[in-house]
Amino acid sequence: MSGRDGFGQALHAEWTKLRTVRGWVFGLVAAALVIVLMGLFAAAASNFSCSGPDGKPCAGSTPPLGPGGEPVVDNFSFAHQAFTGDGSITARVTSLTAVSAADDQAPVEATQPWTKGGVIIKESTTPGSPYAALTLTGGHGVRLQHNFTGDIAGTLRATPSWLRLTRSGDTITGHESADGATWHLVGTVTLPGLPSTVRAGLFAASPHHEVVTESFASTSGMSYPTRATAEFDRIDLEGTWPDREWTGDDVGDLGGPVDRPEVGFEETGDGVTVRGSGNIAPVVAGRGGLGRTVEGRLVGAFAGLIAVIVVAATFMTSEYRRGLIRTSLAASPRRGRVLAAKSVVIAAVTFVTALAAALITTPLVRAVEVGKGFFEYPVPTATEVRVIVGTAALLAVAAVLSLAVGTVLRRSAGAVTVVIVAIVLPYILAIASVLPTGPSDWLLRVTPAAAFAVQQSLPEYAQVTADYSPADGYFPLSPLGGFAVLCGYTAVALGVAFSVLRRRDA
Amino acid sequence: MKEALHVEWTKLRTLAGTAWLLAGVVLLTVALGVTASAACADTGCGDPAKTSLTGIAFGQAVVAVLAVLAVGGEYSTGMIRVTFAAVPRRSTVLAAKAVVVGALVLVAGVAAVLVSVMAGRFVLAGDGAALSLADGPVFRAAVGSVLYLVLVGLLSLGVATVVRDAAAAIGVVLGLLYLFPIVAAVVSDPDWFKRLQRISPMTAGLAVQATTNLDSLPISPWAGLGVLGLWAAGALLVGGLALRLRDA
Amino acid sequence: MEATIEVSGLRKRYGPTVALDGMTFTVAPGKVTGFVGPNGAGKSTTMRVILGLDSVDEGHALVGGRHYRSLRHPLRQVGSLLDASALQPSRTGRNHLLWLAHSQGLGARRVDEVAERVGLTSAIRRKAGGYSLGMRQRLGIAAALLGDPPVLVLDEPVNGMDPEGIRWMRGFLRSLAAEGRAVLVSSHLMSELQDTADHVVIVGRGKVIADVGVAELIETASGERVTLRTTARTQAMTVLARAGATVAVTGTDTLTVTGLSGERVVALLGEDAVPFSEVSAHRASLEEAYMDLTRDAVEFNAAGDAR
Repeated sequence: MSGRDGFGQALHAEWTKLRTVRGWVFGLVAAALVIVLMGLFAAAASNFSCSGPDGKPCAGSTPPLGPGGEPVVDNFSFAHQAFTGDGSITARVTSLTAVSAADDQAPVEATQPWTKGGVIIKESTTPGSPYAALTLTGGHGVRLQHNFTGDIAGTLRATPSWLRLTRSGDTITGHESADGATWHLVGTVTLPGLPSTVRAGLFAASPHHEVVTESFASTSGMSYPTRATAEFDRIDLEGTWPDREWTGDDVGDLGGPVDRPEVGFEETGDGVTVRGSGNIAPVVAGRGGLGRTVEGRLVGAFAGLIAVIVVAATFMTSEYRRGLIRTSLAASPRRGRVLAAKSVVIAAVTFVTALAAALITTPLVRAVEVGKGFFEYPVPTATEVRVIVGTAALLAVAAVLSLAVGTVLRRSAGAVTVVIVAIVLPYILAIASVLPTGPSDWLLRVTPAAAFAVQQSLPEYAQVTADYSPADGYFPLSPLGGFAVLCGYTAVALGVAFSVLRRRDA
Repeated sequence: MKEALHVEWTKLRTLAGTAWLLAGVVLLTVALGVTASAACADTGCGDPAKTSLTGIAFGQAVVAVLAVLAVGGEYSTGMIRVTFAAVPRRSTVLAAKAVVVGALVLVAGVAAVLVSVMAGRFVLAGDGAALSLADGPVFRAAVGSVLYLVLVGLLSLGVATVVRDAAAAIGVVLGLLYLFPIVAAVVSDPDWFKRLQRISPMTAGLAVQATTNLDSLPISPWAGLGVLGLWAAGALLVGGLALRLRDA
Repeated sequence: MEATIEVSGLRKRYGPTVALDGMTFTVAPGKVTGFVGPNGAGKSTTMRVILGLDSVDEGHALVGGRHYRSLRHPLRQVGSLLDASALQPSRTGRNHLLWLAHSQGLGARRVDEVAERVGLTSAIRRKAGGYSLGMRQRLGIAAALLGDPPVLVLDEPVNGMDPEGIRWMRGFLRSLAAEGRAVLVSSHLMSELQDTADHVVIVGRGKVIADVGVAELIETASGERVTLRTTARTQAMTVLARAGATVAVTGTDTLTVTGLSGERVVALLGEDAVPFSEVSAHRASLEEAYMDLTRDAVEFNAAGDAR
């Protein structure tokens, strides 16, 4: 009772101290301002100027959205028929390869890990519509994928592989077989609300081949399209298939050359061969990607962070500069309580300031971006809340770290430098230096900069090959895991600060 | 001016922190450089000179502390009034500080860069065999890195003279250095991206370290260092004006 | 709470330097106790120990029978002023007092009361960084009085004050003691305490040299000394020495006589018709008494070191 009472008074005293020094109030206001202004600047300095070869707006500026609301790539060559009610489609993949398909080069063999060829049941040929596909892949064996984000691994890895999709109501089941006699279950997925008549058949797709090399603050890459050829035979259709013949479609064809003989399907005796480019997968954001993310709007948090670190460090070191600490400790002789009260006050004030700034910035910057025609990556509300609240919490914890380091060092310049270098420098080295992804990832695991993971709004997809590097906004640790690393450093610093404060003569 | 130089040299020399900070510049620069080289030893990171000199990004923070404290320390203790009583021409004081800080950083920078390059040559092995100071671009990268540190010191000195508070000055300097690359990373307009890289004291300044792929640089090596030089000159100029116009 | 300070056997060393060497004394209520000694005698360290700021190797310091660190609202029991410049220059004097008040659960009204009591009302809303040293001392006293404490610990409170301020401070300290408080005031100048302290604790080299009432101290130091001004120096010396006095020549026409009262000297000189122009009985100042004592202490210590 008396303890809590005393702590309340210590809090009150520290709050009075903080709010009565104009420099600190100014610093915190500046932190909020730079968060807003830098966000706006980054949006203002970004232009959406993507145009195709003949001046038309460039392809894929607004990607189709999948059933889950996420932006997707839905681009493949599809030999299909109408399929009504329950039933199944079975086919044997006898060959799956891909070649480079750059316009100005002779094709060379270029099978991608996620080159796909298999059977698919899809609501319609409209890009983004629900589907379930059982496919052989270039490097990941048989997979049962559905609605862009679902991915279940099978066991077979080689051609020939037998594939079967069975529909029963909204449920679709995938089976695989090496010989057409013994069948193994790959998985069962549900496509809620799937209409009675859907399109089903055979497909082929192969994503771009990408080689990315990074150098200081710039990425140079090599990227070219590839084209898959998937050969099927032993095709068996069960149930109601009224069309009785295959129709070819280049789903999601984005207005390339109209007549592309190399894409499409042909019937070969008892089989079908499908050729196509593209992918059926969620879109992966990246630097210079087509869309804008939540965390991109909060880029000003880095500047705000620096301001907050300066305020928090001097909030403690100013006590030492003129011996004010003796007055403080004479007023509150329990030293741990003084440190705790200071930490709580600076954390709370920073959190509220940063949260307010982030809440103002996010819709403001989004409005600017939408006005400029950018695609906004949709994320679940919970994720957006996590990014915004997490950013505010990151600044708050960094402030406490700065306070603790200030207590130990008793020098403001030293404390500010240590904390800024510890949090910001690893991030810069990770996103804008010669370091390859491996060491960059490592930096973002073991240094306080790991905490920026709390800002990552887009998930990594195992079924899409992409450069999931820190520079592209992908962190090696989970949001909470990364945040915990910063909290760990802060806890250790507070522990040391507590112990030196107790042992040291004031 | 000679006396003023002597005054500043004595002040900085007798400050306990100076030697530690200079040692810190060398140690941290080399440590990060070696770490980066080791990380690139297997895969190779394209530019061995730049890789071995990665540590400059770390060492510059310590240089900033050294330079900021040379001014901020005097303001926090009130010693600046004693200084101006001894040397009333304030621009002379600032110039003398700039020379002394610049010279100290130069010495530390030469040591840091030499050791970094030699360590890089050893650690990078195959890739680093090409790492010889006799090689024109590598020599330019090495000399440029030393000058980079000196200019960061002068920039910090100027900022500290304007801001007067050591903590705030460090915040401003590290903000100037570190924030540009971060903002550039989220700006998607290629013109703005290039513009930001060209005016960024750190990105432009470190262009001097590149020895390969010179075409892809946002700014040519020496011009980049010149950008940092302009920042430093601007900061010193504003600092000198502030000294003249404000009460001590 | 009993208004006392009890310091007992404090020992503290910083490396080879002994800062406190068995410091022991008590401070009683209702009195101003001077805490005097040369610079480096351990006054400030002792005060910091009393306030729980510094740790000691041995001994303890209690305020009202309790350790300072165990006090719940310390400023309501002990008011202290260690360093009047220990404040954030950019904060106003009033806000400085306000955060201190909040730490003790006190409100803004108490802040304005103490500001008025130390005569700082007109300047209290200005930045403390612009205060003169005298104003800072007043602000420090105001901070010490915030909790209306029965015990006050003040380190050199008149340091840097103008004569008017010093006079004010003396009266103020006396009035605080008259209210029944225990007031411990340190100084390195005994003269500063001449009209203020009732009791002095004189320290040197980390320990107490004397712990006496001021009246008693002056009594002892004065002894029976008479200054005599005369043109007939030799004649006077002969007469007085015969009467058993010790006579010292202190100037061309002045003698200092010890062992005889003033009246007796006048009578003896009259009997032998020795001419003289002035006879004055000497009364030691507190400063002289202090110098005597500390000189002895220093000499004693020097001898001790030689051994």
